[in-house]
Amino acid sequence: MDKRYKVQVKDLHKSYGSNEVLKGINLNVKPNEVVCMIGPSGSGKSTFLRCINKLEEPNSGHVYVDGYDIADPQVNINKVRENIGMVFQHFNLFPNMSVLDNITLAPVQLGKMDKDEAQQAAMHYLDLVGLQDKANANPTKLSGGQQQRVAIARALAMKPDVMLFDEPTSALDPEMVGDVLEVMKRLAQQGMTMIVVTHEMGFAKQVADRVVFFHDGDIREQGTPEDIFDHPQQADTKNFLDKVLNV
Amino acid sequence: MQRNNWKKLIAAFVAILGIVVGWQVVEPQRVSAADEPTYTFATNNTFEPFEIQDSKGGYSGKNPGIEIEILKKIAKHEHFKYKFKPMSFNGDLQALESGQVDAVIAGMSVTDERKEKYDFSTPYYTDGVVMAVAKDSNIKSMKQLRGKTVSAKAGTSAAIYLKDNQKKYGYKIRYFDSSNTMWNDVKTGNTAATFDDGPVLEYGIKNGVPLKILTKKPINAQPIAVGFQKGKNLALQKKINDGIKWLNDTGQMKQIIDKYTKDTKASKTSIDRTFMGLLEANRGALLRGLWMTIELTVIGIIFAMIFGIILGVLGIVNNKFANAISSTLIYIFRGIPMIVLAFFIYMGLPNVIGHKVPLFLAGIITLALDEGAYIGAIVKGGFESVNVGQWEAARSLGLPYSKALIKVIAPQGFKLMVPSLVNQFIITLKDTSILSAIGVMELTQTGTVIISQNMEGFKMWTIIAVIYIIIITLLTWLSNYVQKRMA
Repeated sequence: MDKRYKVQVKDLHKSYGSNEVLKGINLNVKPNEVVCMIGPSGSGKSTFLRCINKLEEPNSGHVYVDGYDIADPQVNINKVRENIGMVFQHFNLFPNMSVLDNITLAPVQLGKMDKDEAQQAAMHYLDLVGLQDKANANPTKLSGGQQQRVAIARALAMKPDVMLFDEPTSALDPEMVGDVLEVMKRLAQQGMTMIVVTHEMGFAKQVADRVVFFHDGDIREQGTPEDIFDHPQQADTKNFLDKVLNV
Repeated sequence: MQRNNWKKLIAAFVAILGIVVGWQVVEPQRVSAADEPTYTFATNNTFEPFEIQDSKGGYSGKNPGIEIEILKKIAKHEHFKYKFKPMSFNGDLQALESGQVDAVIAGMSVTDERKEKYDFSTPYYTDGVVMAVAKDSNIKSMKQLRGKTVSAKAGTSAAIYLKDNQKKYGYKIRYFDSSNTMWNDVKTGNTAATFDDGPVLEYGIKNGVPLKILTKKPINAQPIAVGFQKGKNLALQKKINDGIKWLNDTGQMKQIIDKYTKDTKASKTSIDRTFMGLLEANRGALLRGLWMTIELTVIGIIFAMIFGIILGVLGIVNNKFANAISSTLIYIFRGIPMIVLAFFIYMGLPNVIGHKVPLFLAGIITLALDEGAYIGAIVKGGFESVNVGQWEAARSLGLPYSKALIKVIAPQGFKLMVPSLVNQFIITLKDTSILSAIGVMELTQTGTVIISQNMEGFKMWTIIAVIYIIIITLLTWLSNYVQKRMA
């Protein structure tokens, strides 16, 4: 593996039965880089993202995060996951505890912080996502946009060096999308390494250092937002962008 | 707030457990004796006039029955102490075989077949089988029984006689566990005739059972004696035999037997037969039975929950072997009828492990395994119905499997399970009645015993049923309240 990269993926294959979803992906992500992954549904971008923290088990290939190969059975996956934050399409907040407890659960349970520290940290991150007043609320009582911002705060509380976003705004009402994207933009500006699966082309154009276009289980094309959005080289890319941009 | 409620609930639960277990531990010490040996005798709770239980389910009344009086005298004379285990006659024999009891004193007739399996004391009475029909029946002799149904208690000499003569007379045989239900079946006309021990039937008829005896001379007259495990308990055998000889020599034996078969002194004084009267007369026994039912339910549920949670967790972990163990155990214990499981643990297991399983413990193990299997399936289903996204979110934060399960999945799963668990608790309460089959003196068994004395089947079973409904209603209210508070 190469020390210059925060995340390095080599020849990653993943199949469900005879259906090959990932056909040998290679991708390197530098520290502080924001990579947006776009592409049609079923192109494998979400599966790829979930392979990075081993929510999906790759069939072959290597995924190095901070120098650890998550495909190596000797590597303690729980330790590696502590440094990879993940935000899900459906937020997945724990409905059996308050917003504050959602955020402090992992740091306290994993011995990163004591309860007081964790609560202070939680308030700090809630402030960052603009929800300090919701600390004691039950997450099910919040709007979708608020829930997703709590989910971001929860992931940040473990102080990860990489954040994975799996279509974070797809399940939101349109008027909620802006707040969540705003938080993500702020994170990017603060230098967080981010890999984002998204359908928000505006966000990708504005925030991404690199845009990766997935098609049919493979990376078809990648480059700066200008390269991809203004001068796409591949027919599939043009085709996809035509569909999503000209509605 | 929510967590506090749970804590209170758990604290209350633990407190109840503590009291109940403490009571269980202290209880046996109260009866522990000095240096005289204590023997356990299986007996038949409905076998008048040999055994007549009082309203408290014991034998401390004035007329406890021929064999009880004999044993009382012998024990005093021969210096030993005794305890009774009242069961069905079949249960008596099985308890003797498995070593649960030291002897059977239950109007047991000495047959050649039984002599091969058991040792017997000196006989103290001669008993024969007689045939009885309903008071208004037209049946005059056994020849009229062709095609009809007749009854006897399973395992008794009456049953053996019926089996031997079935070809000759062409009747169908139905077996019962207690005289009371059997006689009632004749009274209601379900069976045409019943075959039972002469003195037992005579005593019953004298006390108001509407049957009549047709047999002039008892069939298969056989001696009655105390039965022991073959070649074991020789010291007790000698004591009993010495005692019987002493009773015969002093004329006391005849006195006791005459008291129950010749004059009417032993017959019951008239009692208040209204619902309230019956309730009042049997209040102590019913409360003790109810308490035993509650005790079995509470302790049974606690252990069933422990077993069920283990089964449920084994069923969902990422390990094929553990999953297989879980589903196999659930399959087995859900598949075995609870009564078979109870017999197996109480009467089957002692043959293998070589010592007795205490009755209460056998009841709890039965409940824990049977109800635990159902709870295991509920727990497994509850955990599985928690959204998979919850697992992913917890694991993505770096929480190991166990922490994700305990902190995130289990609390949500249990909330989903509450209605099914409450339902299972109510079923558990009702299922404790099955343990009456091995002689646990819970509410149902208490009812059987009381009815064997007062023959008030309809009224007593109504009372018992109402008691069950009341406690189940209370339990349902309690669980609704808890569920509302949790929501």
